[in-house]
Amino acid sequence: MLNGKNIYKPIKARLTEVIDESPLIKTFVLIPEEEFRFGTGQFIELSVDGIGEAPFTPSSSPQVSDKLEVTVMKTGYVTEIMHNLKPGAFMGIRGPYGRGYPVEKFFGKEVLILGGGCGLAPIRSLLYALEYVKDNLEKVILCYGSKTPSDCIYKPLFSRLNSIDKFEAYRTVDKAEEGWDESVGVVTTLLNKVRMNLKNSVAVVCGPPIMMKFGTIRLIEMGYKDEQIYLSMEKNMSCGLGKCGHCMMGEFFVCKDGPVFTYAELKNTPDIWK
Amino acid sequence: MKLTLNDLKEIRFFDDYSEKQLKTIISMSSIKEFKVKEILFEQYDELSEMYILLHGSLSLGISLAQEKRIHLGTIEEGQMFSWSAVFEPFISTAWVMAITPAKVIAIDAKKLNKEIERDCDFGLKTMSRIAQTISHRLSDTRFQLMNQMML
Repeated sequence: MLNGKNIYKPIKARLTEVIDESPLIKTFVLIPEEEFRFGTGQFIELSVDGIGEAPFTPSSSPQVSDKLEVTVMKTGYVTEIMHNLKPGAFMGIRGPYGRGYPVEKFFGKEVLILGGGCGLAPIRSLLYALEYVKDNLEKVILCYGSKTPSDCIYKPLFSRLNSIDKFEAYRTVDKAEEGWDESVGVVTTLLNKVRMNLKNSVAVVCGPPIMMKFGTIRLIEMGYKDEQIYLSMEKNMSCGLGKCGHCMMGEFFVCKDGPVFTYAELKNTPDIWK
Repeated sequence: MKLTLNDLKEIRFFDDYSEKQLKTIISMSSIKEFKVKEILFEQYDELSEMYILLHGSLSLGISLAQEKRIHLGTIEEGQMFSWSAVFEPFISTAWVMAITPAKVIAIDAKKLNKEIERDCDFGLKTMSRIAQTISHRLSDTRFQLMNQMML
C-alpha cells in the first residue's frame, strides 16, 4: 500500500481502437476509467484479466491524460492474447513507473533521435512531448530504421514530422520492397546525412539491443560524449518498483532507476546490450 | 556547373581542410551528372576518380552473378564513395547506380594521390576520412549481418 492505494492494483481501461502497424505490431487505444498521467519514457504494466501483464512504454502524448496509446509487438503468450483483443474489451494499466526522458534538459539543444523497429513507440511519445516544447529546442532529427517497409510503424508520422518547423525525419530499411524510394541500409547510415552541433546536442537511442549498440558506438565516433547519449533500456520489467529483481542490470533496477539512462551511467555495466 | 568553395564547405568529409586545400580539391575535380538508373561504375571496373555525392540518391551494391544485382545500401548526400580509385589495384569492389538524378564531385584520383604525397597534412586528413568511411561501412555491414543472424 502507498498513500492508502494498492500499488499493484491496475486501473481498468476500455480498448476503443486497435491499429495494425505492421504484421507483428498493433497499437491499442485505451480510455482509462480514471485520469492517467505519465512522463514521456516512463513505462506501464498492461494486463489482460486472468492472463498476465507485460511492460510497455506508452506511445501517445504525455499531455493527454484521458486516452492512452500502447504499441505492442507480438512476442509471446500475453502479447498474442492482446493482439486478439477487439475494441470494447477491457485491459488493466498499472504505473507509470521509472524515470523517463528529462525533456527539460534538452531545452536550448539539438536533439538527435535514433530509433529501430518497435523502439519507435517510446520515441513517438517523446516526439509529441518535444513538439509541445519546440519553441525551447533548436532542432529535432529522427533517424529510424526497420527491416522492411512493411515493418515500418507509424507510417503517417514521418510526413507529419517533416511538416513541423524544426523537425526532420528520415527512414531507412534493411531490405527494400517495390515502390520504396527512401534510404536502404542500417539506421546508422542515416547519420551520414545529418549535421549536428555536437557541443549543443543530445542524442536518444531506442530500439533492439544490436541497433542500440551500433547506434551508440557511431554516436560516440561522431563526437557525442557519454553523458549526451540517452538510452531507453527496455528490459524484462515486472514489479515496476525495484523489488522483484527481474530487470536488474549491474547495480541498477531498470524499472526504478530507468528505463532511461545516460550512456555515462551504464557504460561500465556488464552486458548492457543483451 | 562549377564546383565552388561553398559546395565543399558544406561537406563533412572536408570539415577541417584549409581554404588552400579546398582550392586544391577544386583544381582536380569536376561535377558529373547522372540520370535515373544510370550506372556510375560496375563492380570490378578500374576506377580513376573518387566521388562525393552532391545531390540526389545513389544505390550501392554487389553482383553475385551476371545480371543479378544485390542492393546493399543507399549513398546519402555528402558521402564519399569509390575509394578504390585511390588504392591499388584501383578496382571497384561494388557497383553504384543513380536512383534519382544525381550530381557528384569527381576527384581525379591520380592528382589526389600526388597531393597526398606532396602535402602531409592534406594526406593525413584525406586518408583519415577515407579510413573512417571504410570503417563505417564495415561496421554497418556487421550490424546488418547481426540483424540477419537474429532473424
